[in-house]
Amino acid sequence: MAKADVKLPQMQSGFDFGLCRRNDMLVKQGGKPAKFLKTGTTIVGLVYKDGVILGADTRATEGEIVADKNCEKIHYIAPNIYCCGAGTAADTEAVTDMVSSQLELHRYATGRESRVVTALTILKSHLFSYKGYVSAALVLGGVDITGPHLHAVYPHGSTDTLPFATMGSGSLAAMSIFESGYKEDLTREEGMELVSAAICAGIFNDLGSGSNVDLCVITKGGKEYLRNYKKPNPRTYIREKGYSFAKGHTQVLSTTIVPLKDKVTIIEGEAMEE
Amino acid sequence: MSIFTYNGSALVAMVGKECFAIASDRRLGVQFQTIATDFQRIFKVHDKLYIGLSGLASDVQTLQQRLQFRHKLYQLREERDMRPETFAHLVSAMLYEKRFGPYFCQPVIGGLDRDDKPFICTMDSIGAIEHSKDFVVSGTASESLYGACESMFKPEMDPEELFETISQALLASVDRDCLSGWGGIVYVVTPDQVITRTLKGRMD
Amino acid sequence: MGDSQYSFSLTTFSPSGKLVQIEYALMAVAAGQTSLGIKASNGVVIATEKKLPSILVDETSVRKIQLITPNIGVVYSGMGPDSRVLVRKSRKQAQQYYRLYKEHIPVSQLVRETAAVMQEFTQSGGVRPFGVSLLIAGFDDDGPHLYQVDPSGSYFSWKASAIGKNVSNAETFLEKRYTDDMELEDAVHTAILTLKEGFEGQISGKNIEIGIVGPDRKFKVLTPAEVDDYLAEVE
Repeated sequence: MAKADVKLPQMQSGFDFGLCRRNDMLVKQGGKPAKFLKTGTTIVGLVYKDGVILGADTRATEGEIVADKNCEKIHYIAPNIYCCGAGTAADTEAVTDMVSSQLELHRYATGRESRVVTALTILKSHLFSYKGYVSAALVLGGVDITGPHLHAVYPHGSTDTLPFATMGSGSLAAMSIFESGYKEDLTREEGMELVSAAICAGIFNDLGSGSNVDLCVITKGGKEYLRNYKKPNPRTYIREKGYSFAKGHTQVLSTTIVPLKDKVTIIEGEAMEE
Repeated sequence: MSIFTYNGSALVAMVGKECFAIASDRRLGVQFQTIATDFQRIFKVHDKLYIGLSGLASDVQTLQQRLQFRHKLYQLREERDMRPETFAHLVSAMLYEKRFGPYFCQPVIGGLDRDDKPFICTMDSIGAIEHSKDFVVSGTASESLYGACESMFKPEMDPEELFETISQALLASVDRDCLSGWGGIVYVVTPDQVITRTLKGRMD
Repeated sequence: MGDSQYSFSLTTFSPSGKLVQIEYALMAVAAGQTSLGIKASNGVVIATEKKLPSILVDETSVRKIQLITPNIGVVYSGMGPDSRVLVRKSRKQAQQYYRLYKEHIPVSQLVRETAAVMQEFTQSGGVRPFGVSLLIAGFDDDGPHLYQVDPSGSYFSWKASAIGKNVSNAETFLEKRYTDDMELEDAVHTAILTLKEGFEGQISGKNIEIGIVGPDRKFKVLTPAEVDDYLAEVE
C-alpha cells in the first residue's frame, strides 16, 4: 500500500537526524554545542530483608544553574519495578518511558508480572545500540517472582547486579555511607535510614546534588513511593510579605482585554436520522 | 557564542490565584545588532493555553508552525482543546525526536486546565520537562530572571498583582542582559479573560 | 508494491455494488458465538459465550475478553485468531498515544483507530477482511462507552448491542430489558439473562465470560467464581 499521507512524528520510529547537518554547520561557524538539562545527581538503591529501597535527591542542573529544586528522579517502570535516573534528564525520562511502555505490552501479551531482568535487558540493549550517546545512568530495582533485584546500568549499556548501588555525581559520597553501614538482612527502617543517609551525603557533599530526599520502597506485592521523605534544605530567605507593587506601577504602552466565550454545552440532542 | 544566544530572548511565566501570566521581551537581534523590536515569541495555542519559545528565531517560528499544525489536527480529530499538560508532553515528544539534532529552542508553556487550575512548565531543547508551582524562566536573560523571580514572586497573587510582579521581574532582568529587552509583552490569562499588555522598556 | 501477483485487493465490488467479501465476513461473525454489551449509567458490561469444541480443552487457557488499556476491554464474535491481530494492534496504538501525550487514549479514539485497521483490510492488496465484529467497552473522561466495530470498518456507539449467533433474539431481549437509568449491577444481570436466552446447555462460570468497567476506570474480567455468584443472583 502506498503511504502518501503527511508524515507525523511517531515516537517509536526512533530519532530524526534531519537538523544534524545544519546544527553542525552552525557549530562550525563558531557556535557552541547545546547545553541540556542534567541531573547531576545522587541516586542509590539497596536490597534489604523484604525487598528493595531506591533513593534520589531532587536537584536538576543546567550548567552551574539549579534549574529545578524539586524534580522527580525515581521513575515508574512497572507496578513492581522503579528506576532512578542520572545523566541527561530527557534521556533518562525517555528511556524509562520506553521501557515501561514495552513492559506493559509484554504484560498484556503474557499475562504475568514483569521481571526486573526483562526491564534490564531492554534498557541495556537500547543504551548499547546508541553507543553511550543516550546518556542515562540508572539504578534499577524491583521485586518479581524470582525475588528482589537491584542493578546499576551505565550509559554504554553495561550493567551490574549488586546488593547496593550508587550512581551520579554524588555516587562516591553515597557509596562511603553504604560501604560503612550496609549489612545483609537490614530491616525496613534500617534500610530507609541508610538510603536517606546516603542521599544526604550526596546532597551535602556533592554540589551537583541537592534539596530533598525521595525514597521508593518496593516489597513483594506492594510499593511505597515516599516523595520528599526528608526536606533537609528549607528556604531560608523568603520575605514574609514578598514585594508589593502598586497597581499601575509598570509603564504600559497598550492594553487589550479579550473576554473568553463561555463554553457551549449541548444539553440534550435528538438522535440523528440514519 | 552559543546558538541559543544568537538572537537574544527573555521568557518568563508565573502562576497566580486561578490565573497565570506569561511574558517575554520583544527584541530580535543578530548578536549585538538589533533588527526588530516587535518580535513575537509567545503564541496562543488555544484560548487558555500559551507557549513561549526562546532561542534561535528561525527555530522558534518553525517549531511554532509545527506545534500549531499538531494542535489543530488534534482539535479536528478529538473535537476538544488540548490540556496544558498533554500539550507539554506533545512538545516534549517532538523535541526529543530530534535528540541528536535539536531545535535551538527552550519552550515555556502556560495554561489553564479544564477546572481552570493554572499549569506552567518549561523544558530544555530536547524535551526534558520541568514542572513548577511558582515560576519558570528561559532565554538569554534566564539567570537574572531566576534571581528576580525568586525574590519578587509570592503565591496566590490576583491577576493585577501578578501582572505588576511579572512585568517588574522581566524589566529588571532584561536590563542586566545585553541581548534582550526593548520592551516587553505580558499575557495574563484568567478563566474569563485574557489581558495583553505591551510594556515600555529601555532602548539601549 | 504492485508487482506481486496478489497485490490487487481481494475485496472487489460486485456489479450490483456490493462487496461480497465483507458480507462473507459478516456471515463468519454471525456464525460465531454470541457476545453482547450493555452500557449502564455508571459503567459498561460485556459478556460472551465460551463454548469449547471438546470437554478435553482446558477452559482456563481460553480468554475471550481482553484488555486494551487498564480502562478499555474488548470482546469479539467470529474468528478468534483474527481478533488477536486486532487486539495486538489496538494495544500498540493505545501505547503510542500514551507515549505521545502521557494521557490515556479516549475510547472513541481507540475505536476509530481499530476501525481504521479493519477498513484498511477491506481495500488493501493481498489481504482479506477480518472475520470478526468487536464490542469495545471503556470508561474515560466522558463516562462509559460501548462501541461495536464491524469487518467493514464501520463503528457505532450503542446503549446495548449483541453480535454473533442469535443476534436478533438477543437484541429483541435487550430492547425489552434496557432502561436508561440502569446501573452496572442490573446490567450484569441483564447480560447474563440475555446470554441464557439463547444458550444451549447449562450456563456456568466456565462457559461464559463477563467483563465490567465502572467509575473506578479499571476494566475487570470476572473470574469463573465471580460469574457463578452473579449466576446464583439471577436464579
